[in-house]
Amino acid sequence: MKNGKQLKILALPAFVWLGALFVLPMLMITALSFMKRGTYGQVVYEFTLSNYARMVDPLYIQIFFDTFLVAVLTTAISLVCAYPMAYYISRMERSAQKIWLLLVMIPFWINFLVRSYAWVIILRSQGVINSLLLSAGLIHEPLPLLYNFGSVMVGMVYTLLPFMVLPIYVSLEQLDRRKLEAAYDLGATPWKTFWHVTLPLTKSGVMTGSILVFVSSIGMFVVPDVMGGAKSALMGNVIQNQFLSARDWPFGSALSIVLMLLSMVLIYLYYRAVNAAEAKEGTA
Amino acid sequence: MKALRHRTMAGYSWAMLVFLYLPIAVLMLYSFNDSRINAVWSGFTWKWYVSLFDNRQVMEALWNSLSIALISSVLATLFGTAAALAMKHYSLRWRSVFNGLTYLPIVIPEIMMGLSLLVLFSQIHLELGKLTLIMAHVTFSLPYVIVIINTRLADMGKELEEAAQDLGATAWETLRHITLPLISPSIIAGFLMSFTLSLDDFVISFFVAGPNSTTLPLYIYGLVKRGVSPEVNALSTLLIVFTVLLVIVAELFRRKDSKSLTF
Amino acid sequence: MKKWKSLMIGAMAAALALTAAGCSSSSQEEQVLNIYSWADNFNPDVIKDFEQKFNVKVNYDMYGSNEEMLAKIQAGASGYDLIQPSDYMVATMIKLGLLEELNKENIPNEKNIVSTFQTPPFDPGNKHSLVYTWGITGIAYNKKYVKGEITSWQDLWNPEYKGRVIMLNDPREVMGVGLIKNGFSNSTKDKGELEKAYADLKTLLPSVVAFDTDNIKQKMIAEEAWIGTVWSGDAAIINGENPDVEYVVPKEGATIWADTLAIPKGAKHKELAEKFINYLMDPEVSVKNYEWIGYSNPNEKAYPLHSEEYRANKMIFLDKEDMARAEWLVDVGDTLQEYDRYWTEMKSGR
Repeated sequence: MKNGKQLKILALPAFVWLGALFVLPMLMITALSFMKRGTYGQVVYEFTLSNYARMVDPLYIQIFFDTFLVAVLTTAISLVCAYPMAYYISRMERSAQKIWLLLVMIPFWINFLVRSYAWVIILRSQGVINSLLLSAGLIHEPLPLLYNFGSVMVGMVYTLLPFMVLPIYVSLEQLDRRKLEAAYDLGATPWKTFWHVTLPLTKSGVMTGSILVFVSSIGMFVVPDVMGGAKSALMGNVIQNQFLSARDWPFGSALSIVLMLLSMVLIYLYYRAVNAAEAKEGTA
Repeated sequence: MKALRHRTMAGYSWAMLVFLYLPIAVLMLYSFNDSRINAVWSGFTWKWYVSLFDNRQVMEALWNSLSIALISSVLATLFGTAAALAMKHYSLRWRSVFNGLTYLPIVIPEIMMGLSLLVLFSQIHLELGKLTLIMAHVTFSLPYVIVIINTRLADMGKELEEAAQDLGATAWETLRHITLPLISPSIIAGFLMSFTLSLDDFVISFFVAGPNSTTLPLYIYGLVKRGVSPEVNALSTLLIVFTVLLVIVAELFRRKDSKSLTF
Repeated sequence: MKKWKSLMIGAMAAALALTAAGCSSSSQEEQVLNIYSWADNFNPDVIKDFEQKFNVKVNYDMYGSNEEMLAKIQAGASGYDLIQPSDYMVATMIKLGLLEELNKENIPNEKNIVSTFQTPPFDPGNKHSLVYTWGITGIAYNKKYVKGEITSWQDLWNPEYKGRVIMLNDPREVMGVGLIKNGFSNSTKDKGELEKAYADLKTLLPSVVAFDTDNIKQKMIAEEAWIGTVWSGDAAIINGENPDVEYVVPKEGATIWADTLAIPKGAKHKELAEKFINYLMDPEVSVKNYEWIGYSNPNEKAYPLHSEEYRANKMIFLDKEDMARAEWLVDVGDTLQEYDRYWTEMKSGR
């Protein structure tokens, strides 16, 4: 844009804010990861790399791996759940869109813990689903629906769904329908149209949604506790434990920093992969 | 064929809505449970709805939560929209710096952000309370707003803006009359997102709250050790019913409005 | 668009005005006591009485774990006047210099506390803290599913209860079970003993339905879990909702705990906090308070005033013999890292 220079100052408030309230305190706490834990859990101001060295342990590497696996799965399932819904919403008239968006968001105004406990009531051995199945005579023993990997995934997807719906909706909402019709006119099947026209055109929404869900699930610790019975820890739980039960702030801070760097690398790789796929699509 | 596809899509979306509201229905039902500890169903009662309004702590927490969520999400939406709009006018290098700065707060574990803010506030001797809560909430929701609005801007063609400028509109005029209306759905989405994030945040709020600024999540997490009382379910039920009614009434008014306009 | 903008500005202005109004009304010249404690740890009527009697305002904020509270106090400037750390946390906070010494002249009712809690090992001489509630981590079990007598921690390992055992979600409590079962101290610093306790606990893992501290009561009441490690006071609450659930202190011994009343360093209303502590220890006030909370009252003078029902409850008033077998948790210093690593390993799913 020709005289866009004036608009540059609009970025100022946000980035001054983030600089003062995010970068500055983060630098302070990053420094913590190079300190030592005192005998009573206080921070001792002596330089050490031992917190990072401690992480080279099959135990923590395994947990990092599990955490990323859960995050990738959560992202994929949320994407499948959210895309058709976002598509449906984006095809409504504008006022109906707003109502549906609100309907999607309202459950998340109810406290997260209260919602999770409701899931427990639904899934537990004497819960809603098991009672229904038992009284219908479909099963004779309650099914173990809770405190396993499946229930953790249900909780994760449930919690993070709006992070996927909103960006995809935003992207779909301005999709030029003429392009779709053109594809149909050229004889493309609905599936082909979706794959070659709709999906590429909403790439940025899918990417934003995926990244938001991915990074949010990486830090998650309440879902594995409440829905998983706290039996298998993810990195979020381990970090939480360092700051709370183990009172080892330096180690917790080191774990957070490594988790953060790994996530950034993965996001970067994801960006590259999507762009590469798009470039290939373009030449084909 | 097209109608069938549409119907499948509609069915799917309604099924997702059922998935979203299934636990909500259960928690509403349990607001009528005659047991303080609320573990199993033990009879019907209205009493939690009555005692709720006598519970000073709950009402204060609700009020704190709503006001903090409203103020912080409006601020975050304002700052975030402005920043997203400005970003494309910067050089590529600056843009990647900004992008990093936007994603980092989302990636960082909440507990780290909470602690770091607590350390900062106690270093500058800022008294913990509503102000620090609002500051923290703006900090963690601002990046989400920027990211969502960026999504929209990335997809948007330049044609309209360029046409406006060719017709002699200044950058500011183009912004007001062309760009802002075009991205308004993403502004609404960003606002909804930050309002929701603020209303439900526990970890960061825990660290930056002070005496007399307990929010609803803080209150509820505090209850956890003794069992979350059905009062909380009652409050949640009222919150949902009230919001849904508000949406319905607004929709009815809008329909009436648009009818009187068209006829 | 315009409508949206004006709506936002309007909402913003309204919210700001209302918060400002809220702030000014609370900053009136009135003495304020800021309490930071566990949920439901006071009878709300007792707080109301105190407010009226002394013309003060009480703010009551809550935390869910000792460590959360510590993190907040450690960063400084928390603004609280009265906190309720548990036993081991009192010791830690004293060592970190985070607690004020109590001025006993302001708390004459201190002498009402039963002699057993006058010199607890975590704070000899009650210089910084006074015991408020206490209990023992034992075994709770549901008679409907658990047949035969439960006497030992070993009973948790019974294969019949596979998938129905619940454990507290706390490294020290769980490792404590493994240690006590094998005849070691629950606060050992010996690596060999820890190793052995962990190896033993690992064989229990397939039986565990969940680790849970917060909702353990709900899980026992709803019969999701049949047997597990439960605090005595929680057992009393569970028993009130589901009479099939019994409670026992195993023969090998168990962990005893207490929540205390203490004042954090730099509290602005220290004297008022002491006044409140003294008020809570008045025999009649404490009867009203503890029958509502449902935990054990350490107040000796209040004992005869309590109702028959409260006194007869064995989960509230534990036997002398049970108490004699119980052991306090002690801060283990650097060894906490070992506890945490075993804890993480237990939950790594391998």
